[in-house]
Amino acid sequence: MNPAAPRKGFVPKPKALNCPSCGSQIELRALGAAAGVICSYCSSTIDATNPQLQIIGRWQAAMTIEPAIPLGSRGKLKGVLWETIGFQQRGINVEGTNYFWREYVLWNPYQGFRYLSEYDNHWNFVTPLQSLPSDSGPSKVFAGESYRQFQTARAYTWFVVGEFPWMVQVGEAVDTADYVNPPKMLSSESTGNEVAWSQGEYMLGTDIWQTFQVKTPCPPPIGVYSNQPSPYAGRVRKAWLFYGAMCALLFFLMVFFAILAPSKTVLNKSYVVNPASAGEKSFVSDIFTLEGKNDNVQVGLNADIANQWVYFSMALINEETGQAFDFGREVSYYSGSDSDGSWTEGGRTDDVLLPNIPGGRYYLRIEPETDPAVAGGLTSSIPFRVHIIRGIPYYLRYFLGMFLLLIPPIWTSIRAAAFEGKRWAESDTSGSTSSSSSSEDDE
Amino acid sequence: MSKLYMAYSMLVAGGLAVSSITGYSPFTPYDKVDGVPKSVRNNPGAYRSHYAGHARYFGGK
Repeated sequence: MNPAAPRKGFVPKPKALNCPSCGSQIELRALGAAAGVICSYCSSTIDATNPQLQIIGRWQAAMTIEPAIPLGSRGKLKGVLWETIGFQQRGINVEGTNYFWREYVLWNPYQGFRYLSEYDNHWNFVTPLQSLPSDSGPSKVFAGESYRQFQTARAYTWFVVGEFPWMVQVGEAVDTADYVNPPKMLSSESTGNEVAWSQGEYMLGTDIWQTFQVKTPCPPPIGVYSNQPSPYAGRVRKAWLFYGAMCALLFFLMVFFAILAPSKTVLNKSYVVNPASAGEKSFVSDIFTLEGKNDNVQVGLNADIANQWVYFSMALINEETGQAFDFGREVSYYSGSDSDGSWTEGGRTDDVLLPNIPGGRYYLRIEPETDPAVAGGLTSSIPFRVHIIRGIPYYLRYFLGMFLLLIPPIWTSIRAAAFEGKRWAESDTSGSTSSSSSSEDDE
Repeated sequence: MSKLYMAYSMLVAGGLAVSSITGYSPFTPYDKVDGVPKSVRNNPGAYRSHYAGHARYFGGK
């Protein structure tokens, strides 16, 4: 056993030293591991690796920020007890506007350093990488997962306090590059020839607050963050798969009920309209039986007409109950020729589907009307045929059902695309559309 | 995919199955009239459908 290694269950206590600059007491929580310590009183950067606590630099605080998670707070993240020992605010300047984010240094004597980063109340648990990601075009691949390039920027340190594993100073500049694969993210920080890679994993602020028992209320996240997992991740694909399954079910129902449909002809008879004749034009058909309790009835008309119309005012009347179903249909057919050639309009046939007709003994009252002038001039009688079928397969309702079922997956797709649109609106890379689909399918 | 979508889908599919069995449709191209006298069978002119005199198309192209 290495006597220098910390004992299991050992809870290190901070070592108190005096700042060589202002004499204030400084607590060293990661003594032996931290490289730089920033005095919270005079903001001097002190070399923690030097037993003499040499001052590396002094700076005038451009801003003073109170960390949301107080330094020295302890909490378990991913099964490990961490203590916050350092805090810095960094920022980038884009077109004259500063965008700031905050980073906390976490320390565990067995695990070393980790970081928590926060931007607009979006949090990431950041782990330094021991191996480098590989290139895949503009993307990076790490541990078999592909990360899309999101943003590159030059970041500056604006405020710093506590202990850090490097000699951090205000004004320190690094070139950063972010690659995302929600909820993960790869980040590189370059200074000169040195490149440090880290992997972030998105976390909820409420979990951080609970972990470190922060007393202040947890502010809600603003907007969509680069590696924030989409609430629609996987839902779009599932919604469309479910839609496909439902369409298959509806198709099965359609075929099943089509096979069961009786499609029985109950009346098929020819009649003649004589418009020129005086007197009552209405007449009734023979009585026919509609079997079953409730089903549809199709009434078909076929009139032998040319350049003429016939309007049929009809009533399907139940002989026993006196219940009538009134409806009207028109058959009109016109043809001719002009400078564009021959033309036709309308048709000699027409049919209507009467749904929900109870079973019983029925007859059809028919009252034909036509244009007497045309009829009188060209023809004296118009033959027509009435064809009534009980219980025909009705496919339209299934296609209507498929349309109704289409609404939720389309809505989900639109919402998911809008979420990804917000995410990639913050990116300085193109091709945001294709990225949305890839993240959608990941779960 | 939410439970709401599943419930909605089942409602649609169930409604279609029921409408297929019962022949029900919310859209009916007819007017239902009760109490038509039996005499209409022998005297069709004694009953006028609601659709008699319905506006219709006159003329061709």
